[in-house]
Amino acid sequence: MTDDVTEADAHLDFDLEVEEDDVGEHAEAIPLGDPCLVVDDLHIVFRVFGGKSREQAEKSGAHVEKAAPPKKPFVKRLLGAGRQHVGAVSEVHAVRGVSFTARHGESIGIVGINGSGKSTLLRAVTGLIPPHSGSVFVDGEPALLGVNAALMPQMTGAKNIEIGGLALGMTPKQIDEKFDEVVEFADIGSFVDLPMKTYSSGMAARLRFAISSAAIPDILMVDEALATGDAAFKARSKARIEEVRQQAGTVFLVSHSISTIEAMCTRVLWMHQGKLVMDGPVEEVTAAYRQFVRAHRQARSGGRAGGTRRGRNGGKNKRKG
Amino acid sequence: MTSEKTPAAGAASPGGERPPAPVPPDPIVPAISSAERLALAERYGLTKMGVRPPLWAYVKDVASRWAFIRVLGTASAYARNQNTYLGQLWAVLNPILNATVYVLIFGLLLDIARGGVENVVAFIVIGVFLFRFVEQSVNGGAQSIAKRTNLIRSLHFPRAVLPISNVMSHLTTLVPALVVMCLIVWSSGYMGENDLVPVTWEWLLLVPAVALLWIFNMGLAFIMARVVAITPDLDNVISFVLRFAMYGSGVIFPVVRYVQELPDALQVWLGPILEYQPIAVYLYLGRSSLMDEEAFVQDPTMWILGVIWAIVFFVAGFIIFWRGEERYGRD
Repeated sequence: MTDDVTEADAHLDFDLEVEEDDVGEHAEAIPLGDPCLVVDDLHIVFRVFGGKSREQAEKSGAHVEKAAPPKKPFVKRLLGAGRQHVGAVSEVHAVRGVSFTARHGESIGIVGINGSGKSTLLRAVTGLIPPHSGSVFVDGEPALLGVNAALMPQMTGAKNIEIGGLALGMTPKQIDEKFDEVVEFADIGSFVDLPMKTYSSGMAARLRFAISSAAIPDILMVDEALATGDAAFKARSKARIEEVRQQAGTVFLVSHSISTIEAMCTRVLWMHQGKLVMDGPVEEVTAAYRQFVRAHRQARSGGRAGGTRRGRNGGKNKRKG
Repeated sequence: MTSEKTPAAGAASPGGERPPAPVPPDPIVPAISSAERLALAERYGLTKMGVRPPLWAYVKDVASRWAFIRVLGTASAYARNQNTYLGQLWAVLNPILNATVYVLIFGLLLDIARGGVENVVAFIVIGVFLFRFVEQSVNGGAQSIAKRTNLIRSLHFPRAVLPISNVMSHLTTLVPALVVMCLIVWSSGYMGENDLVPVTWEWLLLVPAVALLWIFNMGLAFIMARVVAITPDLDNVISFVLRFAMYGSGVIFPVVRYVQELPDALQVWLGPILEYQPIAVYLYLGRSSLMDEEAFVQDPTMWILGVIWAIVFFVAGFIIFWRGEERYGRD
């Protein structure tokens, strides 16, 4: 890799992005209840097929460890020549020993530069990615805000509301009751009877958010879902999140926008290279994190004045282990 | 993939004028020990995540998701054929074309089916249509977990929903195809020197035969889903095994007849295996329901075997799948 701006650098700008309408807003404090989530020494390891060899991956800074060697050394020797392509299995240690406790009514933001394990931590805490070691204890059912994986672009919006609702564990009757509310919240009007692939990306994002927030879970996990949508929609989403907190639920939020985190969270976890490096009240952690990101960006861009600013869509690809 | 450099690596790189990369705070040391956290979890009655539920609770959980299974199954059946001009017609056209190829090559050209079978067209058509259901279930089941990691990593639901709904989607397209199959079998009576195929009440037995096949297929799909989710390489082997199963089950020619030409020692054990293995049993049940031939009379033994195979495969498959429940989605 050259000394040019890496992909991660491009994201650093994104990390510091300020949403004007969020500035100055703060999440209201809600009296905290009993612990509702205990994470104990959590490790997440992905098995990656056909991955790069360890040496190569190390160069690019990934925490890749070789998987346990195959049982038959002879076969391994046979394959030795093309090992990078045949039988290449490596492991990515995405979360490395994270412990924390969350209480009812807390709204927790997770920050960290790209590849620091934020999204993986969120999914692991939701119980969607089984831990390699360590454990997660919860009160109630955590739900990740995001049904997009269950939806089918070929089907109509109405059918997708049904599929998404069922995927979230709602009964057909509950979906009937919520149907109009979802359509109204998503603001898609008569498009509801057209296939979802005909929607604009904003409409599709609104519908996805509306479907996934139709059920109000005990612990709500949001992964950058607020990045799309207009201001009015953003305000409504925020109200939805507040609603969950008022009902003594807990909210986790991964966002690239520090101002969004500041506006919505009461506590922030800072992840770096799969480890928790800071955990505390929102002002304290975001101040330190901001400073770190600025310094990090300066160090990267070096002599170049002001750093390189890339488009905000310059590769929002999330980890797909 | 993680792609950022470690701060240390960034600082060591050439281009000396740049300021040193910042170092994030050291990882925090938790204020309380692991044992204290576990005690805390216990005190407030928190449940541990990612633990495989007990079998009975799992069964109930899957059953409660019946609406999801149905909707997901029918919707994906619909979505499968949606991007074509003929659309849903392909659900019927596809097996017809498939059967036509086999009838032309094996039935007419090679005349391979002549071995106690009079109506070759009906024999091959029933075989091809029913075997297609098995084939689709095995392939669909194999991919139901492996290809839907995204879904598994974003929502909670008992994972058994995926293979079940996949088989359900194939059943959805099978039903109209079966109607066409019955029509072809009936009209085959007017082709060549075939005897007329009488439509009797016996034809209704096709319904339980297909129902048993469905249950059997779900069992297969469960097994394939777990196996391929854990060892993705096996996905490549499936098509060969399926082709072997096709020729070994008498889908396009009565394989049992050929066994008689083998040496006795081999015949003794190979004969019963080929005749009573599950796929052959379900093909027999389908054929005996529709065809009016001596080779395919109603046989209670076959029905009992059909029930046994369905239950054995479904129960075993379900348990095999359930035992991997907490692993799906990790890799």
